[in-house]
Amino acid sequence: MSDTQWPRYEVFKQDNPQKPHEAVGSVHAPDAELALQNGRDVFVRRPSAVSLWVVKASNIFTMTREELEATPDFWPKVSKAAGTPTTFHLFTKTSQRRSMTFVRHAGQIEAVTPELALRDAIENGRFDADNVWVWWVVADEFIHRSQADDIDSLFAPAVDKTYRQQSHYGFVSPRRQKHGREKLDADERR
Amino acid sequence: MIEQTLEVDDKLAEFEARIARGEKIEPGDWMPDEYRRQLIRMISQHAHSEVVGMLPEGAWIPHAPSLRRKMVLMAKVQDEAGHGQYLYHAAETLGATREELLDALHTGKAKYASIFNYPTLTWADVAWIGWLVDGAAIKNQTMLAQASYGPYSRAMVRICAEETFHYKQGKEMIVHYASSGTPEQKAMVQDGLNRWWPPTLMMFGPHDSESTNSEILMRWGIKTKSNDELRQEFINEEVPEIQALGLEIPDPDLHFDEDSGSWIIGPIDWDEFWQVVRGNGPMNAERLAARQEAHENGRWVREAMAALYYKFVTDNYSKVSKAIGLSPERN
Repeated sequence: MSDTQWPRYEVFKQDNPQKPHEAVGSVHAPDAELALQNGRDVFVRRPSAVSLWVVKASNIFTMTREELEATPDFWPKVSKAAGTPTTFHLFTKTSQRRSMTFVRHAGQIEAVTPELALRDAIENGRFDADNVWVWWVVADEFIHRSQADDIDSLFAPAVDKTYRQQSHYGFVSPRRQKHGREKLDADERR
Repeated sequence: MIEQTLEVDDKLAEFEARIARGEKIEPGDWMPDEYRRQLIRMISQHAHSEVVGMLPEGAWIPHAPSLRRKMVLMAKVQDEAGHGQYLYHAAETLGATREELLDALHTGKAKYASIFNYPTLTWADVAWIGWLVDGAAIKNQTMLAQASYGPYSRAMVRICAEETFHYKQGKEMIVHYASSGTPEQKAMVQDGLNRWWPPTLMMFGPHDSESTNSEILMRWGIKTKSNDELRQEFINEEVPEIQALGLEIPDPDLHFDEDSGSWIIGPIDWDEFWQVVRGNGPMNAERLAARQEAHENGRWVREAMAALYYKFVTDNYSKVSKAIGLSPERN
């Protein structure tokens, strides 16, 4: 079946200003602004966030370590590119073992093409390339970002949402109930 | 030809070695076709289950006994919708499209958790779904959070954290009604247990000896425990909790086995299980109709978004129209 869907956007969430943006999943949308809204609805229902980025999936250049190793002719080809340098953002996944390891924003680099940005990233030592399993490279112009004055409308509701924390429900074991608190709602006693 | 086969054998050996080392397989990495096929099958069934799972509980939102319970239930049902989205995304990383997955659901081709083909007759059923159904789902999902496919395991970690809230809110209600409720509430809770206990045990799937997919799923690190192992863990954890409330589990054969330290259950009615899987459960037709209707009721939203898309990409309009099922000549 051919893919007749709206474009897919990858969503990057920043939990707090000290943390990098992390790829949390994707949404489909007719444009970047609605991708941002959809990304907010799907990925910031409960968790805290201060910023979202969305990037159309077709604008992300991706390489896994396995693909790099399986493509020995990758480097000679890209070395021929020439043109005006632009800013590329590098995202990396640096562990294989824990399930909560995301592709994270790792920094930026000036280059002519995403391939060259990746080569520079691997060669210049800033990105700890030996420990990178997945590389994503995105030109700055392709990143659509939430704005600072959107924080209240996009992210504040999740922070104040009632019942968002499972710790709200401490009272769960009937065998420990004797030591628990009674908090049956008055109108449920009827 | 022989060289090709050898190459695939080498790749398969390296793939299995990576899994043995505990590495995650990521989109773009080489994987056997069967690994991809099994994952799309599992993840999409799981996504459909989250989406259809909104129906039995959503029906009770207008009838919640208090504002607090209503807000909790709304938050929970909203979570299930979000879980469906996480999972459709994970399936898409394997090359499936959302369109074909939804098509399969709406035409009745796709399977989803059979448990949602049972009706929610009383408010206690909402509570039992939280405790038993979400409890059983957490058992499975906690295991799948370790799965060898990166995007699936990451979706599972997020889902498990939220399912724990679902489990706790359900259990909290049952504990309240069974220990401090009126005689009618106690009877309602026992009645719900009688109906939800048997299909909950079926949620873990056929016995290991009958499960056709288990072996390959375990070999490739998608599952790390068998159906029967997970079912037994669940039974051992929940039976004492339920009995502590003075409730009677509807299984005359249920007994504690000192030697194994396990609660042993009587036979599971697999005929009923397969009947429901094949579409003959009490609510199969209604669930499917509700999903089709919901999709149809969302048409105006898709039209509005298409109109926006049209503004920017006029020359792609026929493609957009096709994507959302509009007639191409409409303006």
